[in-house]
Amino acid sequence: MPFDAKLTGEAASLARANDAVLRRLPATVHAFILSDLQKWPALFPAEQRYQRALLEHLSRVAPDELRQLTGGIARIEAEAALDRIGERDPTAFQDRAQAALRKQNLVAGWRREIDRFFQQIDPALESRLYPPDAPRRVVLQLYGSGIAVQPDKLWSRLAGAGTRIPLTLDGIRSSRDYLRALFDASGESGRTSLFQRLRNHADGAPHDAWIIEAHDVLHGLLDQPAASPETHSLTGLSYERLLPYRDALMRALFSRIQSGVESPQAFAAYARGLKIAPEPGALLNPAEIVQSFVRDVLLTGNGTLFVNNTFVEWAAVQAVRRAQPRMLVTRYGVRDRLKPFSSLVLFSRPRSSDRIPIVEDPVGSFVDVEQLSYYVWVHAEKSAAYRQKTLYLFLAENLEQMLAIRSDRPGPSQPPAAPASLGDVCATMAHWLGLPDPARSGRPIAPLVG
Amino acid sequence: MALFGSHANRRDVLRLLAACMADWWLPRRAFAGRRAAKPDRKVIVVTFGGGVRYEDTLAREGWINIPHLASELVPQGLVYPVARYEGLTGHFNSTGALVTGCRQNVDAYGSEAPVTPTVFELFRKEHALPPEEAWVIATNKSFGLMGGSKLRAFGDPFSANVILPKQLLIETIKSAVSTEAGPGVEDRQALAEQMMVALDEGYEGFGWRVFESGRALGKDLKATLAKSLLEYFNDPSVPTSGDELTFFMTKEIMNRLAPSLLVVNFWDIDIAHYGAYSLYLEAIRRTDRLVYELWQHVQTLPQYRDRTTLLVVPELGRDSDVAGNGFANHRSGDDSCRRVWLVALGAGVPRGAGTERPIRTFDVAPTVARILGFKMADCEGQPLTELAF
Repeated sequence: MPFDAKLTGEAASLARANDAVLRRLPATVHAFILSDLQKWPALFPAEQRYQRALLEHLSRVAPDELRQLTGGIARIEAEAALDRIGERDPTAFQDRAQAALRKQNLVAGWRREIDRFFQQIDPALESRLYPPDAPRRVVLQLYGSGIAVQPDKLWSRLAGAGTRIPLTLDGIRSSRDYLRALFDASGESGRTSLFQRLRNHADGAPHDAWIIEAHDVLHGLLDQPAASPETHSLTGLSYERLLPYRDALMRALFSRIQSGVESPQAFAAYARGLKIAPEPGALLNPAEIVQSFVRDVLLTGNGTLFVNNTFVEWAAVQAVRRAQPRMLVTRYGVRDRLKPFSSLVLFSRPRSSDRIPIVEDPVGSFVDVEQLSYYVWVHAEKSAAYRQKTLYLFLAENLEQMLAIRSDRPGPSQPPAAPASLGDVCATMAHWLGLPDPARSGRPIAPLVG
Repeated sequence: MALFGSHANRRDVLRLLAACMADWWLPRRAFAGRRAAKPDRKVIVVTFGGGVRYEDTLAREGWINIPHLASELVPQGLVYPVARYEGLTGHFNSTGALVTGCRQNVDAYGSEAPVTPTVFELFRKEHALPPEEAWVIATNKSFGLMGGSKLRAFGDPFSANVILPKQLLIETIKSAVSTEAGPGVEDRQALAEQMMVALDEGYEGFGWRVFESGRALGKDLKATLAKSLLEYFNDPSVPTSGDELTFFMTKEIMNRLAPSLLVVNFWDIDIAHYGAYSLYLEAIRRTDRLVYELWQHVQTLPQYRDRTTLLVVPELGRDSDVAGNGFANHRSGDDSCRRVWLVALGAGVPRGAGTERPIRTFDVAPTVARILGFKMADCEGQPLTELAF
């Protein structure tokens, strides 16, 4: 299939250099790769590395072996007569190919073959991209104050995994105090927060550290004038801060609905083409690639426009999959109770006549975040970038306990005899990431770093 | 007028609204002059719908979410804990498989009818029954074409009546505003406008325009009425979800027409797509309650009591936590998406029984056929032999 992807720059060079192997691939795989290359400027470095590695790997596979690897896919493509599709743009081809496969009830079989193909090549790609000495990572998930945490049910989806470590919260009176201590983000002169240290260390980039939160306490903390260097040292998404942007997206979608759409597919295509950007200041790192990421999260994640914690989880899962940050912090909050019938009122613009007060749902929020934080862990463990290399920490503000799971040793271990301070937790993260801890705000927790 | 001033009044208004909706929409006995062989037995198929996982419902750890089914209905009936749906894991195709006994592969958003005959068409054609004998009452707005296939020998003349209660509500409002011929609902205009205000903008907005024209009202009146209606909707004693409205409409149809075959599509559970597990569980509990209340309602109607078989079945599951995308979706096609269950109750069903025999959701349609005494050749399913026909 002679596609015309209209690639430029490095993506064009990559496609040119690997043209021979691309042409040997089944059309759907060929189109999938070119379609990703079309998005090159919107790909995170980890995604670009993957594409390079994929093409280089496939180029080294002998033609006969490649034919064998892709035989199942080619057979289904032939059965679906995909060669009759004359579309030359790879993304449009993908849409038409999927429709044809659906029509002929071949999607499941095609997906199976695609999975089989990647299962065969992934081990080689993963060992190349994520060798044993690849950087370690931290995923910290935090339940914000206000969530009605039930201690007896806390982190129940992860029962049997990791170690419950007692904490002492002496001197902690608010969420801000808690977060300051946890990330050593006091803003005092001479002290650098954990995020700043990660940024300064070994050519860290803003994409190496992400904070994703339902509200904006953490953003507020890191956005203080005294901590202004933080602003571009990490990538931050706050559902609350994105309110004007979410409203703008909803208005655009609503207006489209009012003017009429032929089908949900047409509506989705319209949504994909929207050019609306978050307001200045809404993102800690306003780079184009992050704007594009946020837009995708809000428009392609179910419920991300409407439910704060869903946004946090889906954005975190996508960040893990795409940007692969070395440090990921999620902070969940209290979700609003849905208004009666509001489950049916998508994209509705609230009016002054809508007088039903907003009521929070702290109990439901706990049920939600138990599941969502578990999903973030599940997705991270599916990624070779995180498997065996990650320290997972689960904390609930105001609760003198945390759950810690080392992905290389996920079973329970002996908790420390004395409760750890939040400074100790911070020192543990720094130690795990190989960062300096000049202020010595705490001591690494032995069972986790030993 | 304090139309919605108290709970009692709100319930009165709801009854009036139902009367209003039913009078406009429910067909008269158009086939009254025709002799038809109406069967003695009746069947109600309820989709415990929107997609539920086995682990969140019929598995031991899920019983807490289905207290009525687990402790009151299952002991009265027969449970098939090992049921499976084979086919595309969207709502239309999976429900299409239930009513045809065959896997369907049509547009997932309901722009195409099933491609094989439905139980409604086969039933009505063989027994020469009028349309009021077969109904689909659906919360899912895309089920408008669920009542019949496109086949030349079947199709519209033999299809079921399909009611989408939410859409019906809007159409009723439009009718109420545009005609003087409606029933005597006091302050009909006020009722209509209040409903419109609550439902107008983006009601189930995704790709669906609800009404083409509106009637201009004074701003003050509109605001006042809107406030009352929103309070009305906010009251826990009135329908606050699509499934409540579907349940309400189902009862109205049963009371007025006593059809032999009903398929009731509950769908609130699909709120799981919002990613809030607690809302998903809440919707499961609501569906459990509505199924129970529906069965109670069956017992109150002489036309239904002792002659009705109720089949309760999720049309599909949802993704597993590990292999798929979790409870929020049903796209992966993994086992969790396909593993469902079925509970049968009532006439011809052994009490307090269960069988581990694996069944498929395709088996529902031929089972309905066997109960109601019509032929269902060439489908993928087999009648559930544990039931007495």
